Amino acid sequence: MTLLSVEDLTKQFGGLVAVDDLSFGVESGEILGLIGPNGSGKTTVFNCIMSIYQVTGGTVRFDGTDITDDKTHEIVNRGLSRVSQESNPIGSMTVRENIELFTFPNSIRSFDGGASDKAIASYAAQVDIEDALNDDPGSLPHADVRRLEIAKALATEPDLLLLDEPFAGLNQTEVRRLSEQFESFREQGITMVVVDHNMRGLMDLVDRVVVLHNGQKLASGDPADIVGDERVQDAYLAGEVSAVQ
Amino acid sequence: MSDREQTGRGIGRLTGRAESVLRDTLLAQGAGVVGAVGRPAERLLWPVAERYNRRLGERFGEVTGLQLLLLVVAFGGLVTAPLWGQDYLRPLTLGAVWAVFAMGWDIQSGYTGYISFGHSALSGAAGYTTGLLVLHLNPELSLFVTVPLSILVTTALGLAIAVPSLRLRGPYFSLVTFVTVLLFYRLTKALSEWTNGLRGIRVDVFTYDLTLQYYMVVVPMLAVAATLTYVGRSDIGTVLIAIRENEDAVSAAGLDPTKFKLWSFVLSAVPMGIGGVLLAHVNAGVDPQTFVIVDNSIQMIAMAVIGGMSSILGPLGGAFLFVGLRDVFLVGLGEELRWLALWLLVLLVLVFARDGLFRLLWRALGALGGDRR
Repeated sequence: MTLLSVEDLTKQFGGLVAVDDLSFGVESGEILGLIGPNGSGKTTVFNCIMSIYQVTGGTVRFDGTDITDDKTHEIVNRGLSRVSQESNPIGSMTVRENIELFTFPNSIRSFDGGASDKAIASYAAQVDIEDALNDDPGSLPHADVRRLEIAKALATEPDLLLLDEPFAGLNQTEVRRLSEQFESFREQGITMVVVDHNMRGLMDLVDRVVVLHNGQKLASGDPADIVGDERVQDAYLAGEVSAVQ
Repeated sequence: MSDREQTGRGIGRLTGRAESVLRDTLLAQGAGVVGAVGRPAERLLWPVAERYNRRLGERFGEVTGLQLLLLVVAFGGLVTAPLWGQDYLRPLTLGAVWAVFAMGWDIQSGYTGYISFGHSALSGAAGYTTGLLVLHLNPELSLFVTVPLSILVTTALGLAIAVPSLRLRGPYFSLVTFVTVLLFYRLTKALSEWTNGLRGIRVDVFTYDLTLQYYMVVVPMLAVAATLTYVGRSDIGTVLIAIRENEDAVSAAGLDPTKFKLWSFVLSAVPMGIGGVLLAHVNAGVDPQTFVIVDNSIQMIAMAVIGGMSSILGPLGGAFLFVGLRDVFLVGLGEELRWLALWLLVLLVLVFARDGLFRLLWRALGALGGDRR
């Protein structure tokens, strides 16, 4: 079953076409890799899906419903959550409070409606930061701040997670551990789209890859086929040939 | 980067460091002086604070023994003021009215970071609703009619300002609120056939018994303080603060920032309505100079800043301190010097104690009790 469907998506900034007539689908339960060189439009696609940007053209459907014109919070409440490239925890709140915020009901009548301490600890435990719940986000190492971003997204109980460069700045051990955790999310029924400009880290994780180049879909298919695709190699040659090998 | 920019940033860093060093020094010295008597007192009071925390801590915030003592002393002082401060009942009454304004401003602007320069239009709306009702409808109209109607009109005006402006980001909200006050001020003069222009409208005082009048103001003020403290400590307060810190994160959490911002304006407009009615009856009238001018909005902000924004009780303390200085302690300086001294104090707090004096005191007391938050 197709959970997320992006149809003929176009996003222009003035004269610049950042995403050009892009279509792809995400099947329920899969982990899709969305790769491409820097500036190929990957993050813009996420921003269009989450309604951070208004699309210039095209449609985004989630679970069969047109969400193109929904507001960000409405999309999140439908079950689609995104982990940004930038970490932006609220510095005046502890790790626990940062996660708890993502469990509050969207109601002005709710005075005490967040998740229980136990539930918050379980979100944190899924990314190994359960011991840092009472810490300030500013005191956490980079990897834990990234994990906090994922824990916050998990706290919205998503069906689909959009992960934007989740491995950026992590060492090999941390990348391996995070990949294992993504696998466990999948076992819980969470579908994922992972954006990365570097395909090596994604090879063992994703089921399928969509390659973007200059805002257009360049190729899609199994990771092994994509690695051998000449067009993909050419697209990367200008930047980083080792990224696909 | 130009030399000037580098110098500017260098000075900024130095100022920041100086602020931090001064704050730490003040805290350390304050803690040192108070520590000698404070720590034994804290040990003595802790069992009571613990009991309070178990019963009310979750709803109103946890306290240490000394923090609880401060609350009890302040509450006791307010409730017993007619016994010890007959000579000061008038400034204390005004302090209580302005505390309602400062807390009302705080739950919206202090919490969300959308700074309003237009709250005097809200208190003015309440005062003028009361005034217009008694002037044009019935001078004998009961408070049970004028008070709810005034609050209702204030809330409606609040929503009329908030709905179009809170969807905007950046300085637009502040500008809209600022222009609203200017517009309101001009309207009171333009519609002088109805409003009596600068002369204003006479409203009966609650009572000529100053003690009774004091309680008629302090009781609603305490109710507003308790309600807003509860709201500020609830999920809603957390969301409002999150809007100030990172509005995108609030959307990413599945929460509608616009809805919560509108709600904060309603939560703010109601106390502004209550305060406006109280001021009309305490001052025996409503006029543009006392109610509407933008200076009044700035004074509300100053009280919140002095006390400590986004804390509700800080602005309450800030209001009493500001009115006390303005109407009692600095009166001897004369009109001009008095205001100079007051605004200088606000400036010093902004530069050296941005979290507010009462929050500093609260933290110092908390630190003595082992609370490092």
